[in-house]
Amino acid sequence: MKTGDKFLLLILAILVILTVGTGIISQRSSRDKIIVIKSDGKTVKQIPLKRGISKSFEIKSREGHLTVEIKDGKVRVVNSTCKDKLCVKEGWIDKIGESIVCLPNRISISITGGGTDKIDTTTY
Amino acid sequence: MSSKRIVNILAFVFVATVLLVPIIRKNAVPKPAFSEIYSMNTIIDIEVYGKNKEKTLSEIVQKINEINKLTDDFSKDSDIYKINENAGIKPVKVSSITLDMIKKSLNIARETGGAFDISIYSVSKIWGFKSGDYRIPTETEIQKALKLVSYKDIVLDSKKQTVFLRKRGESIDLGGIAKGYTLDAIKKILDRNNAKSALINMGGNVLTYETPPEGKFWNIGIRNPRGEGIIGVLKIEGTKFISTSGDYERFFTKNGIRYCHIMSPFTGKPARKIISDTVVSNKGYLGDALSTAFFVLGKEYALNNAKKFGVEVVGFDLNMKPFYTTDLNNIIELRK
Repeated sequence: MKTGDKFLLLILAILVILTVGTGIISQRSSRDKIIVIKSDGKTVKQIPLKRGISKSFEIKSREGHLTVEIKDGKVRVVNSTCKDKLCVKEGWIDKIGESIVCLPNRISISITGGGTDKIDTTTY
Repeated sequence: MSSKRIVNILAFVFVATVLLVPIIRKNAVPKPAFSEIYSMNTIIDIEVYGKNKEKTLSEIVQKINEINKLTDDFSKDSDIYKINENAGIKPVKVSSITLDMIKKSLNIARETGGAFDISIYSVSKIWGFKSGDYRIPTETEIQKALKLVSYKDIVLDSKKQTVFLRKRGESIDLGGIAKGYTLDAIKKILDRNNAKSALINMGGNVLTYETPPEGKFWNIGIRNPRGEGIIGVLKIEGTKFISTSGDYERFFTKNGIRYCHIMSPFTGKPARKIISDTVVSNKGYLGDALSTAFFVLGKEYALNNAKKFGVEVVGFDLNMKPFYTTDLNNIIELRK
């Protein structure tokens, strides 16, 4: 084998490992939990729900706005301009299939994910 | 093997992977036409797969809004509002959809011995479940309200297309059947448009349509009635309607007692026989109404009568012990 051939072989081997590898990794990551936030029927935010992330932010709709807090792999609504505050009373959610809905504000926060835990939708 | 051959094979694998991965990914997860809307006093998620998905979706949204307009008891323009306003006065001409929905409600009322009764409105009102100002009414108030609860006082005239409530003060509310009925109408739209697959969730009432885009079954979670997350999963094959009634959706507690929004037409008080029940049915309106009737009548009635109605049921008794019809054995996974 010539040096050039060996070099080419090495490069190709690395490329194959990389492409197949990233394919597998990105498939595994689809099993993670994702927070999907919709306002007025449109998805406005998608955030991976991981232990390390902690933040809070505002979500607006035509009807009003509310504050979402993410901490220790959980999500909740801390305050809202709606009258009944059912979204705030709901408290923390952290499991795939769970959701918080603020009907008056037309905002929904739900946790989705793939893999073995996959739930298409929930009856209640 | 010569090194040249190895290089060739590796080069081929590389090119093939690079080319195929995006194609495989694209084919693996087809994109649905999706919409989340707020109507019928709840949140509705619609996803449709297939060639005409966008057109199908817009037809579905239109249908939901049409039915909502007819049945919203708070809106002065609705058929239901007009029927209630004219109770004891005169019959009201209504749309064919309203008439059909009331006709189906009356059939289920008769078949469940009155456990499902759309004239329960008067009772719901005195407990504050219409206004949100929850309270415990006096026994006298309850007896008075119960006198205005009887599906037998709902008079239909199919020829003239009218509805009449016999007594003044009587009122009806289609909240226990309208969502399921709308899912039936949505199924017809999906059939007509040759949809490949669809999933609709109307405030907990679910329609699974045909085969899911991935896998063989739809995984439908059952919400945990006493805690967070889901308590079980139903593996649903093909087109089915799944409806749940429970004491955890709308309720208030006083002195440690839970008062939920589903009223017993027999006692005039919140039903308290089970915690929740989920009905799997081939008809949306039937599943929706039966989940309420089973909640009022309890575990034994549900298990003994599910077959007669052609439905399956899973529920939780007051000790959170699950019960279900034997045919669900293979498709239900309960979590601890």
